[in-house]
Amino acid sequence: MKIGRKRKSKAEIPTSSMSDIAFLLIIFFMATTKFDVKEGIRIVLPQAAAEGAQQAQTITLTEKEMTRMQIMPDGMIVVNTEAPRSYESGELDALIQQKLKLNSEMIFKVITDREAKYNDMVRVVDRLKAAKIEKISLSTN
Amino acid sequence: MANLQRKRNRDVAIPNGSMSDIAFLLLLFFMVSTVFVQEKQFWVERDRWPVAESIERIPRNHTTTIYVMRDETILIDDVPTRIETAEDTFVYSTLVRKRDEDPELVVCFRTDRDTLYGVMSDVMRQLQDANTLVVAFETQQRRD
Repeated sequence: MKIGRKRKSKAEIPTSSMSDIAFLLIIFFMATTKFDVKEGIRIVLPQAAAEGAQQAQTITLTEKEMTRMQIMPDGMIVVNTEAPRSYESGELDALIQQKLKLNSEMIFKVITDREAKYNDMVRVVDRLKAAKIEKISLSTN
Repeated sequence: MANLQRKRNRDVAIPNGSMSDIAFLLLLFFMVSTVFVQEKQFWVERDRWPVAESIERIPRNHTTTIYVMRDETILIDDVPTRIETAEDTFVYSTLVRKRDEDPELVVCFRTDRDTLYGVMSDVMRQLQDANTLVVAFETQQRRD
């Protein structure tokens, strides 16, 4: 009987390319991950008048205290008692700055017509927010 | 006489034996920290949102999303509804429940930019009634 000498061969799994595989997987995850961060214009609505409560107090504000911006169905804007006209973003910025020069605590009331586009309201509120104005009132015509 | 020394050729190598461990740790971190958002459908696609400049980040853990489509369909929790009469108070009742669960609730609007403002006004009226006063109009970031 022939008895062969057993060879002791080392059985090893090649691990040298393991880091390459891992880095490829990381790159895949990083490239395909889409962060769903919510971003937008934040507004705090006023509280609704409680049912049965006494009639809300009426305060009369002058043009020096409040600017009324009425958005028409065709996108034109009526500022206080001026004639309706369309405003580019730059013109809106200039108008807001002009009003802030009159009164740094100016309240801006944005009145949007029910038939006006949502986009037109967001555009105006965006320019007001860009001017760091916090006193914004939203209402509907 | 100058002292001439024999230069030794040393092997300079960066140890990279633990590279795969580091890579797998990073991989595990990404896999564990990734949260999959469970939304059945984007009812109003991002490219239909208005574009704005002065936007801020809203912490996701206290938000609920209301979709308002161009045909005035409102979707809250993937349930479509409409506000046509004073009896249509689905938005109100849903938000009252949600506000009770989370008092710091922020209502995010994903509204088509061409939607008429009237429907938004009706929804916001119900929000006020439900005392959920913090709202956010989700927009795309202006790039110019």
